[in-house]
Amino acid sequence: MKPVRAATPYLFLLPALLVFGFAVLVPLLFTIGFSFTEWDGFGEMKWAGIDNYVRALGDRTFRDSFIHVIVYIGATIVLEVLVGLLLAGLLSARKRGSLWFRVAIFTPVMLPLVVVAVLWSFVYNPDFGLVNAALAGAGLEDFQRIWLGDSSTALLAISVVSGWVWAGFYMAIFYAAFSQISSEVVEAARLDGAGEWAIFRHVKVPMIRGALAVGLLLCVTGGFQGFDLFYVLTNGAPFGATEIPTTYLVKVVFRNADVGYGSAMAVVLTAVVVAVGLAFIRIQRRRAQAASA
Amino acid sequence: MTVGSRRFSAAGLLASGALVLIALIFFTPMIWMILSSFKSNSAIFGSPFALPESIDLSRWVHAWEVGNIGQYGLNSAIVTAASVLLILLLGSAAAFALSRYRFKGRGVLMAVLALGLLLPLQSYFIAQSHIFTRLELTDTRWALIIPYTAMGLPLAVYLLKVYMDGLPDELFDAARVDGAGDLRMFWTLAVPLLRPGLATVAVFSALASWNEFLLALLYIQDDDLKTIPTGLLAFSSRFHTDYGLLFSALSIVTLPMIVIYIVFNRQITEGITAGSLK
Repeated sequence: MKPVRAATPYLFLLPALLVFGFAVLVPLLFTIGFSFTEWDGFGEMKWAGIDNYVRALGDRTFRDSFIHVIVYIGATIVLEVLVGLLLAGLLSARKRGSLWFRVAIFTPVMLPLVVVAVLWSFVYNPDFGLVNAALAGAGLEDFQRIWLGDSSTALLAISVVSGWVWAGFYMAIFYAAFSQISSEVVEAARLDGAGEWAIFRHVKVPMIRGALAVGLLLCVTGGFQGFDLFYVLTNGAPFGATEIPTTYLVKVVFRNADVGYGSAMAVVLTAVVVAVGLAFIRIQRRRAQAASA
Repeated sequence: MTVGSRRFSAAGLLASGALVLIALIFFTPMIWMILSSFKSNSAIFGSPFALPESIDLSRWVHAWEVGNIGQYGLNSAIVTAASVLLILLLGSAAAFALSRYRFKGRGVLMAVLALGLLLPLQSYFIAQSHIFTRLELTDTRWALIIPYTAMGLPLAVYLLKVYMDGLPDELFDAARVDGAGDLRMFWTLAVPLLRPGLATVAVFSALASWNEFLLALLYIQDDDLKTIPTGLLAFSSRFHTDYGLLFSALSIVTLPMIVIYIVFNRQITEGITAGSLK
């Protein structure tokens, strides 16, 4: 459609562009600019070329932070996406779950992660926490741990909290996808004598491949951006075992006032997230073409 | 297959049993939180699973008062309401232009929009905090409203554009014939028709603003301006050993969300999943 006046579309777009430009695009360009400098945020800014990126390559903490976040992502693919898929399967086999079931699974998604983190810091508390108390109740005192204070369990303990929060989110996505499958397909499989598990595994899951791919993308890109739970529960402790890129770069920028170096790490993290997103879009597009060809 | 024959099948029973068990596991931390909120520290340490001796709501009142929770809640409400209104208004205007008009630069703007959908907060928050400090925006509500609006816009514009693309051209052509200008067409025709889309966008924008933590942590030091996430964190470090009090504060923040979910569960599920399915 043609506007009455040529300027109209731009006027409609202007407010949104101004806000987005001011709060995102300009700071994005500045952050990239900062990453090539040595700067404490106040004093003189010195050109540093690619020094910060070279430093990031050799920084053991930075490298470990990526290993930790990748382990976390791997754990959450199981605890969020896979658990969410199984929950959605159970729910769709029952036609509709009771409201209470959905309240239990979905409320954590709506809570601020800080609230979740403070609550779970109590759940994991070595003196009165729910986990150790439950183990004691079951006669399994040997398995009691200082869950968040032990470098062999801290990362997994945080992943479990993440699963508690997000499994309901993935359940909702997959449940919506399941309910779009025509019931005739499922009934046909049932008439052929397929059991509920076989129907789930071989009929329903393959039919929601698109939703599964989106779920995986959100889990991976969201995982790289993790911060809230880690900051409140451990902030990198014990001994850096739960340091992830964002907790590390917040320390570097806002505690050590190493703005240039922190910006370089932020750019690296951004590149990883955007690359994963673009790779995903490309794969989806190729698959769509293959399907239509 | 009838409902009756399904209800008594072994698989169905198993699924129901599993659902109840899973719901209980998910609920346990929240139930424990509410039970503990009525206990003293010694009771919390002594018998974590025991029921409290009495349901003493004065503990919650006390937590509300010493915790400044009313102020944090009010701040969260103001910041969230302002951000959501701005996102809806600016987002629907932008979506209207992108969906209804063909103009120079449209392709570039669509690419910027797509970029906005991919960009993580980490790509800009360092410089943003510097700019906000320079402009003395920190320790004002604008320091949160502006970035929350900016962060919500790409997905809002994208979704609203999808809705808008689905509206028939004839409607707009007819309005044009009747002499409607661009602004009137937007405000009296497009916006009312977009209502379901606007509701969806409002839900996920509201939750994102209500729960955002990192920027709130960096930009707001003034306790009277803190939102619930940062306020609660400050509270928990101030009273870090008064567990009964902290459990009360957590319960106060959690219960309204459960009520809101029970009342609006359809819209909320729709709103939260919309972004991923489109």
